[in-house]
Amino acid sequence: MNRLEATRQLIAAAGGDPIVASLGHPAYDLYAAGDRPANFYTWGSMGLASSIGLGLAMARPDLRVFVLDGDGSLLMNLGSLATIGWVRAENLVVIVWDNGEYATTGGQPTATAQGADLEAAARALGAAQTATVRDGEEFGAVAARARAVAGPWVIVAKVSESPPSMKPPLDCVFIKQRFMAAIGAPEAATLGGTKA
Amino acid sequence: MSVPRWAAGVCAGLHAAGSRHVVYVPDNPLSHVLRALRTDYADVRTTLATREEEAFGIAAGLYLGGARPTVMLQSSGLGNSLNALTSLLLPYKIPVLAIVSMRGDAGEWNDAQVPMGRAVAPICDAIGVPHATPESADAVAEIVRAVGHTAFGTRLPGACLLPRRITVPLA
Repeated sequence: MNRLEATRQLIAAAGGDPIVASLGHPAYDLYAAGDRPANFYTWGSMGLASSIGLGLAMARPDLRVFVLDGDGSLLMNLGSLATIGWVRAENLVVIVWDNGEYATTGGQPTATAQGADLEAAARALGAAQTATVRDGEEFGAVAARARAVAGPWVIVAKVSESPPSMKPPLDCVFIKQRFMAAIGAPEAATLGGTKA
Repeated sequence: MSVPRWAAGVCAGLHAAGSRHVVYVPDNPLSHVLRALRTDYADVRTTLATREEEAFGIAAGLYLGGARPTVMLQSSGLGNSLNALTSLLLPYKIPVLAIVSMRGDAGEWNDAQVPMGRAVAPICDAIGVPHATPESADAVAEIVRAVGHTAFGTRLPGACLLPRRITVPLA
């Protein structure tokens, strides 16, 4: 399954709900597959996409929060799975694009290429719903289920790597302000109208 | 067990700054704050993180969702947090009220705490995180509230550094 193609499927499954993308290729593909205000692109903080998603899911139980992580990124912050398991944020869906390599940095292999099983880790650390999927049809079905069935979900999607051709907006504050307005939590500072 | 005055001040200050979420990595003195929050502030949710960097990531997500998050950590954990601060909170202008229990300052007994303890304020200055240190237990509530007010008002993380002479007074 191709990551860009799977990202398009995820956008369709997410409806209007927010998507938080890990830096590098997951964020680039999210932009290419369909830029929308409710996309939060990270430009740094490798490993923290699932943590950002968890905080957002805690603050906004009315939303389904989707996270596009990478295998290398999640391996950098595995403790996040334990916190997600503990907090049991039912509205959080973490998708791990697992290509077995650090593709953004030149294709060095990750531990999943040696057999490390991130779905098993997520289950062991308390995720309510987990899956490993290998083709587009399977992925579409599980993504749709993840929008309807209480999580937290961790979906490991085995994907092939293809170099992205476009980058998301470079302005971090723009990304944040657009995102917060899209999910109905605009920053007062952006809107104006605070007490003079 | 009564709540020390400084710990009650942390609770009152963060509450007055509008924070209803505290994400933390535990520390011995901060256990007083956690206990007081659980007893006296039913509207404040506490969430344990496995590592300080993760705590700042969760806090960033809370802010994106409209909350005013607090992160509590020991000063040693500032080292673990630097990439989150410098490549997420600062460039995106995501504010967090950080409550830092200091180690390595006056009263310290553990060599391994001293180098980072000495570096906390210079690191905050170097990366552009404003910080303030209360002079006494009585001043804690107001300093925490003020640091939070400035953080959320200017959309930058801000740190209240709690010196050991306040949190662990020598007998």
